[in-house]
Amino acid sequence: MNLELQFQITHFLHYEAYLLDHRKYKEWLDLLTDDIIYRMPARITTEGKHNGPNIVNDTTYFEETKKSLITRVKRLDTSSAWAEYSGPRQRHFISNILIESGSHSDEYQVRSYFLYLRSRGSDLVTEQLQGERVDVLRKDNGEWKIASRTIYVDQSVLGLMNLSMFL
Amino acid sequence: MSHKILNEKTLSMLKQKINRGLLPQWVLSDPEMYELELEKIFGRTWQFLAHESELLEPGSFVTRWIVNDPVLVTKTKSGEIKAFLNSCTHRGTHLCAADYGKQKTFTCPYHGWTFNLEGKLIGVALGDKVYGEEMKKDEWDLRPIPKIGIYQGMIFGNLDPNAMPLEDFLGNMKWYFDILLGRSDGGMEVKGVPQRWVVQVNWKVTAENFEADPYHVQMTHRSSKELGIAPKDPFFPGYGHQIVLENGHGINVITADATGQSPFPFQGMPESMWPMFERNLSPEQLEIMKNAIVFVGGVFPNLGLISFSAPPLEGETTLYNYLNFRIWRPLGPDKVEVWSWFMIDKAAPEEYREKSYLSYLGTFGPSGILEQDDAEVWARIAQASNGLMALDKELSYNNVLNYLMGLDRVQPDETFPGPGVAYPICFLDAISRGMHEYWLELLSSDLPIKKEV
Repeated sequence: MNLELQFQITHFLHYEAYLLDHRKYKEWLDLLTDDIIYRMPARITTEGKHNGPNIVNDTTYFEETKKSLITRVKRLDTSSAWAEYSGPRQRHFISNILIESGSHSDEYQVRSYFLYLRSRGSDLVTEQLQGERVDVLRKDNGEWKIASRTIYVDQSVLGLMNLSMFL
Repeated sequence: MSHKILNEKTLSMLKQKINRGLLPQWVLSDPEMYELELEKIFGRTWQFLAHESELLEPGSFVTRWIVNDPVLVTKTKSGEIKAFLNSCTHRGTHLCAADYGKQKTFTCPYHGWTFNLEGKLIGVALGDKVYGEEMKKDEWDLRPIPKIGIYQGMIFGNLDPNAMPLEDFLGNMKWYFDILLGRSDGGMEVKGVPQRWVVQVNWKVTAENFEADPYHVQMTHRSSKELGIAPKDPFFPGYGHQIVLENGHGINVITADATGQSPFPFQGMPESMWPMFERNLSPEQLEIMKNAIVFVGGVFPNLGLISFSAPPLEGETTLYNYLNFRIWRPLGPDKVEVWSWFMIDKAAPEEYREKSYLSYLGTFGPSGILEQDDAEVWARIAQASNGLMALDKELSYNNVLNYLMGLDRVQPDETFPGPGVAYPICFLDAISRGMHEYWLELLSSDLPIKKEV
């Protein structure tokens, strides 16, 4: 493994988490290619051996393009996006980063684990979501960009009240 | 069971308040009230289980819940829909843990008892050797959900063997189901599996908010007005008719403005489908469907429905229609698991169906920009309804909630072409009041004190 590449991509994903957690969403949008595909299919429980498939691609929680993500960010900047009003505190913990070659020479497929925690108002209970992301990262004018992201959440019943965040 | 909280005094106080458009706040969080509701309401009303399009072939099954009762819904070899308590008759194990699938038999992982799609016990491990030939297997079949009913592909179950038939329970809601589910050849189809998530609030709040309260849209969902996605008119979505139906059901038929004419007929469904609607609907149903821009309502106690049209969030201006059903499954006095089904006409063009799903994701479900904000408001209601003042059954702190909108002020519109009591405005608490009345009727049924109140 190329240590420099591992370092660059790890740093990139940590930086992305920093932008999200600090609500620098416009800068975050700049990390996405214009043709990004951003999806979150549903997890289900099936019967069968331990390693059977348990993702349903027909049901998703996100099915986004750059434009729809921009609309979602714009909404947060209105005066009445109550879900994010007063800015619930959030952390994206990103780990277990694995880099594989992508389908194009300038692309890499990057797997990472995420643990998302959210603290709302003075609630004592922290909302949580965890899973794995499969990204395609591309170098664009010397800068890393996310060309695709698929979010595989572990929960089949989401234990949080809404998905007003980005994962 | 727990009849002690509904003594004569509290019952008469509830009745008095509800008749005057008020709801004591304690009923949103009181644990004993919650237990009573499980028994008297969820144990006796028709509960939505699945849509037929989720069970396409013999052997298809889905697992669901009627509150805390696990339910296995199957399609048998002959194509019949059956529903059973999803619990092995031997020692009670949760029999099938999968969300859905297709198989001929269900085998319990505990001792290996096996049941078929008809619920028959067809295999007992070492049966003759350990139980003898005298074992009467048919006494140990899966326990059926006492009643099953299907209307327009919507499969319901009822835990009460003496419940009225589903069609009687739905009453005039059937007429509106015919529009929403029966407009297209081949009917509607569920895409994928229901989305599921958990919100912190009493089930009555979610049901009422979703089904009976267009008034909240102008504030809770103001961000969509700010974004230019929803009409800027401050009275939107107050136009149209709020229709009170029997047994606590109701539906809002919302129009774009006071003219009642829709700028996008048939909720923006492709023009190629209009002749089909004409064929499948009565002239009255067709007129309503042509002019409404939103249908939103519910079947008491906890099935919500909305037929909505929105542009996908990508900035395209075309509206795409979808049908969404959801149940509010109570998990506690202030906890609800939401199950949300996306449906679209089988007969709609493929590209339309795909865009329609995007329009759903952008608006409803946990990631929808409308529903995100609902959840925040619901949680705030739960947070503020657990104190001594809110819970006081003597109501000494004026701890009653306001359902006065339109009370004795708005008269039904006799010219409305559909059944039910139709009021010519959707900013109205008439459906909520209807829900409260039926709720109390069920809670107080077979109480010895009923007649005295």
